[in-house]
Amino acid sequence: MNEFTLRPSQEAILAYTGGKLGISAVPGAGKTFTLSALAAQLISSGAVAPDQEVLIVTLVNSAVDNFTARIGQMIEQAGLIPHLGYRVRTLHGLAHDIVREKPALAGLEERFQIIDEREADLIRREAARAWLQTHAEELLAEYRRLDLEDYQLGRVRRDHLPELVESLALAFIRSAKDRRLTPEALRALLDQAPGPLPLAEMGWAIYADYQRALTYRGAVDFDDLIRLAYHILETDAEFLARLQYRFPYILEDEAQDSSRVQEDILRLLAGHGNWVRVGDPNQAIFETFTTANPRLLRRFIESKADLRAELPVSGRSQPAVIDLANFLIDWVNREHPAPECRDALAPPYIQPTAPDDPQPNPPADPQGVKLIGRKFTPEAEVTAVVESLARWLPEHPDRTVAVLVPRNTRGVEVIEALKKAGIEYIEFLNSTSTTRAAAGVLGSVLAYLSDPSSASKLSRAYQAWRRAWRELASQKGLYTQTAELLRKCRRVEDYLSPQPGRDWLETVAESLPPADEGDALLQELEEFRALVRRWQGTTLLPIDQMILTLAQELFTEPADLALAHKLAIVLRQAANDHPGWRLPELTDELALIARNERRFIGFSSDDSGFDPDRYCGKVVVTTMHKAKGLEWDRVYLMSVNNYDFPSLQPNDTYISEKWFVRDRLNLEAEALAQLDALQASGEYEWYAEGQATVAARVDYVRERLRLLYVGITRARRELIITWNTGRQGEATPAIPLAALQEWQENRPPPA
Amino acid sequence: MRLTASQRAVVNAPLNEHLLVAGPAGSGKTTAGVHRLLRLLKKGVPANEILVLVPQRTLGFPYSDALRTPQAEAGGEISILTIGGLARRMTELFWPLAVEAAGFAHPDRPPTFLTLETAQYYMAHLVRPLFDQGYFESVVIDRNRLYAQILDNLNKSATVGFPHTEIGERLAAAWSGDPAQQRVYADAQDCANRFRAYCLEHNLLDFSLQLEIFLDILWPQAIVRAYLTRAFRHLIYDNVEEDIPRAHDLILDWLPAFDSALLIHDEDGGYRIFLGADPLSAGRFQRAIPNQIRLDENHVQSPAVAALEARLTRAVAPASPAPPPDETEAPAYTLVHAPFYPELLDKIAAQTADLLADGVPASEIAILAPYLSDALRFALMQRLEAADIPVRSHRPSRSLRDEPASQALLTLAALAHPAWGLRPTRFDVAYAFMLALETDLVRAQLLAEIVYRPKDAALTGFEQIKPEVQERITYRLGNRYTLLRAWLDEYRQSEPLPLDHFLRRLFGEVLSQPGFGFHHNFDAVRVAASLVESVRKFRLAMQPTQEDAEAADLGREYIDLLQEGVIAAQYLESWRADAEEAVLVAPAYTFLMMNRPVRFQFWLDVGSSGWSERLAQPLTQPYVLSRNWEPGRLWTDADEVAAGVQALARLTSGLLRRCREHLFLGLTNVGETGFEQRGALLRALQVAVQKGRTPA
Repeated sequence: MNEFTLRPSQEAILAYTGGKLGISAVPGAGKTFTLSALAAQLISSGAVAPDQEVLIVTLVNSAVDNFTARIGQMIEQAGLIPHLGYRVRTLHGLAHDIVREKPALAGLEERFQIIDEREADLIRREAARAWLQTHAEELLAEYRRLDLEDYQLGRVRRDHLPELVESLALAFIRSAKDRRLTPEALRALLDQAPGPLPLAEMGWAIYADYQRALTYRGAVDFDDLIRLAYHILETDAEFLARLQYRFPYILEDEAQDSSRVQEDILRLLAGHGNWVRVGDPNQAIFETFTTANPRLLRRFIESKADLRAELPVSGRSQPAVIDLANFLIDWVNREHPAPECRDALAPPYIQPTAPDDPQPNPPADPQGVKLIGRKFTPEAEVTAVVESLARWLPEHPDRTVAVLVPRNTRGVEVIEALKKAGIEYIEFLNSTSTTRAAAGVLGSVLAYLSDPSSASKLSRAYQAWRRAWRELASQKGLYTQTAELLRKCRRVEDYLSPQPGRDWLETVAESLPPADEGDALLQELEEFRALVRRWQGTTLLPIDQMILTLAQELFTEPADLALAHKLAIVLRQAANDHPGWRLPELTDELALIARNERRFIGFSSDDSGFDPDRYCGKVVVTTMHKAKGLEWDRVYLMSVNNYDFPSLQPNDTYISEKWFVRDRLNLEAEALAQLDALQASGEYEWYAEGQATVAARVDYVRERLRLLYVGITRARRELIITWNTGRQGEATPAIPLAALQEWQENRPPPA
Repeated sequence: MRLTASQRAVVNAPLNEHLLVAGPAGSGKTTAGVHRLLRLLKKGVPANEILVLVPQRTLGFPYSDALRTPQAEAGGEISILTIGGLARRMTELFWPLAVEAAGFAHPDRPPTFLTLETAQYYMAHLVRPLFDQGYFESVVIDRNRLYAQILDNLNKSATVGFPHTEIGERLAAAWSGDPAQQRVYADAQDCANRFRAYCLEHNLLDFSLQLEIFLDILWPQAIVRAYLTRAFRHLIYDNVEEDIPRAHDLILDWLPAFDSALLIHDEDGGYRIFLGADPLSAGRFQRAIPNQIRLDENHVQSPAVAALEARLTRAVAPASPAPPPDETEAPAYTLVHAPFYPELLDKIAAQTADLLADGVPASEIAILAPYLSDALRFALMQRLEAADIPVRSHRPSRSLRDEPASQALLTLAALAHPAWGLRPTRFDVAYAFMLALETDLVRAQLLAEIVYRPKDAALTGFEQIKPEVQERITYRLGNRYTLLRAWLDEYRQSEPLPLDHFLRRLFGEVLSQPGFGFHHNFDAVRVAASLVESVRKFRLAMQPTQEDAEAADLGREYIDLLQEGVIAAQYLESWRADAEEAVLVAPAYTFLMMNRPVRFQFWLDVGSSGWSERLAQPLTQPYVLSRNWEPGRLWTDADEVAAGVQALARLTSGLLRRCREHLFLGLTNVGETGFEQRGALLRALQVAVQKGRTPA
């Protein structure tokens, strides 16, 4: 381990040899590095037999790659064979491993299919719509605000209700699966319920319908995978014992985002007691509804672990940023106006590195933190940020910068403004770019083959094929010219399969100067013609073979080819599931894959994480949620007002409380509370309407405080926070922002 | 080829002797068996008195191949059969004896033998309505596999020999998981009962019924026994360990009646356990035939491969014998590693090309995987073909359903039969035009856009198109289109024909004419012929239950089933005959069942857990339904581990015994679909190949 320099707090963790260890870390403390070093240490110390593995469980696929590579390196440096003795998995990947070994125990066949989230969305939407057709009025009668005008009611029926029911269904089904309730079990509970639970009834009906549709496809969804893995471990003690032997140590990263069932699965696997959990409860934030719960990790660290440790030292940010973040913890703990939110953040405080640290903090710069009190409209806020960027960028071409927003739609507005101002930006909102690129190239070619007489699509297919030339100064001219010519080709057939005397290329040749340039262009058009003819031949193949054949011509990068292989299998499955689909539908499907991030478990090497340092001099636009784990030299936090960061004040409003629902009820929270009630034992735990809505507000306020903390701790050198008055013009600065400002103004200058 | 003394002893055994030959794979048992067959013929035994019995058709290929060589004696035909083939032949012959005893409802009518596909069709027909009643609700499985597993249960009861009514009970008694799951077994039982009743009602015979009729009804009758014992005087029974216990029962009973009998037993085999093989039951021959010859010397493996096999087997199954001390020569394997699958395939293609360049015959190379997805096979074959490497696979890369020519024909069939209510998309029609009228995609699409109305599947005339567009489409294409349309119109006016007749006419009168797509395209012609044959077989199989229905509606049914994938497993027939001199790409078990060693093997991907996972079939269980399972015992994780270890050890050792020189191990970081895999084989290989680390 000598090749790695460890901080004392990290050294202490490497002394671990067994038992339950809970570690609280701060942002930038090197959790991945420390856990990797611990895994390598356990392996090289001989604590792991040849048929055993250290199991590392983490949250996202990019982290899986990161861990795998690091541990491999460390083991190699210790003189051992890399890739042996450990296994890195997301919870889904782990569940998949478990279910794959024992599918029959879960009622699955050997090669069961896992549907991805988009397909799951489609099925759920169908189930929700079907339910609404017969129950919409019932639901409205029960829950709508009574003072709605007719035109409003019409809109609710048409747009808002379907959307609401779909999101309720998502939350309900997930939650039911997290509790390992099948539709049958749920039905039995509902039949015994002492009082009416209309939302739970609705949830059950959609859940049952959804699950039937999955069964029909011979498929499970991601949540099933986890539920079934737990079921298998619980049912088969011998198998569990075998896995406990196979994984003598379990290291869990990002444990603050662990859900109840994740904890249950790992607890079973860690029957031997060797379980290390690392997390930062202050960074427990969730982009969409999940069943994760940060209290689980706190409870573990406080009361269940045999050993406790901290990773409080971080070399990421300059002292002024660290002070701000630490003050936020303090303020929340002591002064947050709502006492029930005061434990949203907790120590440890972030400590700067020791003087001899190999990765020291950036130099102190009190001016680097700017909390802007000015009252902006949403438009003016965007303008101000874009102007600030326009001034800053030319002077800092080697620095990284990000604009962090609370939600995607706001990000899109920022991007529009950057476009107008001619500022280079990187959009990191939905999909990661590489998936999109490879799928996009294939998509352009398929789009042309679906509409073979379209010249514009032919031109786009050409551009996709020659995409590398766009960046090449030497070829860019030819590329642009060819694309332009193709776009204007009136009769594509006269180009691709000319009849005698009607060759479009001849017409083109006549109109060109007889110079070299013209020759190159003709040659290019001829080469492309031969290629497209081959492409046309592939349209008769089954879709998987078609994709594979096209991929051979379109890609050279191994990761792109691997992705194409996967896409071929996915599209083939789609074609089998939808026998009526032809090329246009499959092309749409591919476009959706390109647009949406799809959780291909384990298949991550095409997206090995987002690396901000690759984008110096450009503006990265993303959400505060997606920024987790990343850092930039300069960070803008936008929209820090009381709408996106409420504080449980009377004038706060909440996004989950729909305007058309009576009594400001949060129906999602109420639906889950009804589900809770079904499993409750005592009579005092029975469902009382409205309680869940209030509790959900508290959870939301707490989560938003952590989100702010995450946003602040993304900055290395400079941090700018702004707020706006919201769409209605009534929003105020978030209370925590005001507190930070006050503190900053009144604090004594640093010594 | 020179035979060893032991092999010669087998070949030259007296013509009235019963002999059992035992030994591991690669010891020359089948070679001896083949020479024995040739010697029988040479000694004047009439060919039609010889029965060669094998558990699976492919295992009979060495025998039928030998008979095609010049040194083979001419003469009558030798019966090379499986027990199923024999059962079917006897049931056909003695139908009147079987029909009433078996309880068929229509003794006056002939039997209809079902293939796997047609049996699946009838199963689908019976089970589909039950889903709405909540059958199989708690099990997640593709419908076609569900049907297949119910049929498999029936087959198990017939091949093992217990009443088919006990299937559910036996499965439930061994189940140790969630009790709710047991309902599924009851559902499976109920479906099996319904299927059997339906078969009896309509004179349908699936494999299980054929076997039961032959073994339970016909064989016990003196007249049948007399017929068989008179017809066959000499028996060669190869790979007895791969056969079903009831086949063993039959031969044990029949054995005394043969003049000569040669039984061949590979004690380490048993690859077909999932298909009902019972190596333990085959052990009974050891006691029944005192006269035995052992062949032990391996004529296939190099010492290095043998050493690898020993170490690997030990690593997979620590209970097996200790490997010999580490040899000093070069190891018998090479690791071929790539981060991603497509790269691995590139490397394998390059490595194969190198071997060929070094003078290795293509037929001496086999590329094996536990499971070959369509995409994988296609991608691999494509690379090998691009490198001009002759290649063959266990089946072609496209099923009949996926063949463009059959799609074009079926689209035209749908246009000709508007009453079916099938409405091809514009795309289908454009593709059909492209192929049938021999044109390019752009013009085919233009034409389809204009002339085809999906609403009622109608085609308008070329003359109604604007002249400018006519010119774009070209008049030549227009003429061909007009001919096709006129033919379809005329057909629409007439009485509909059965689909196979329709296709034959369409092909003969239009598509094979000069200018049309099937005129020069021999591939397409071959596909058309197979399609017609497949439709015809389907029609014949369906006839007993469809008497009242319009024959032409069966055509629609056929298209539906093809699209649903029930008739998915049909492939063009001619694949085996051609390209013997080619690299083989096949699933590992298929390769084992071809029983032909090669010099070089590629295993891909060794990380895949598919090498050891073969158990998960929610509705059936080969071990529990076997004869060796103690009734009422629970199937536990320990059983599963033991079965997995045994199956993997058997598989790897079986493969390596069929490898003469060298093994290439393909390894990727993530599998085909993006899952990182570390299956049992990889773990065992790590232990086996690591120097200095001996397995515990």
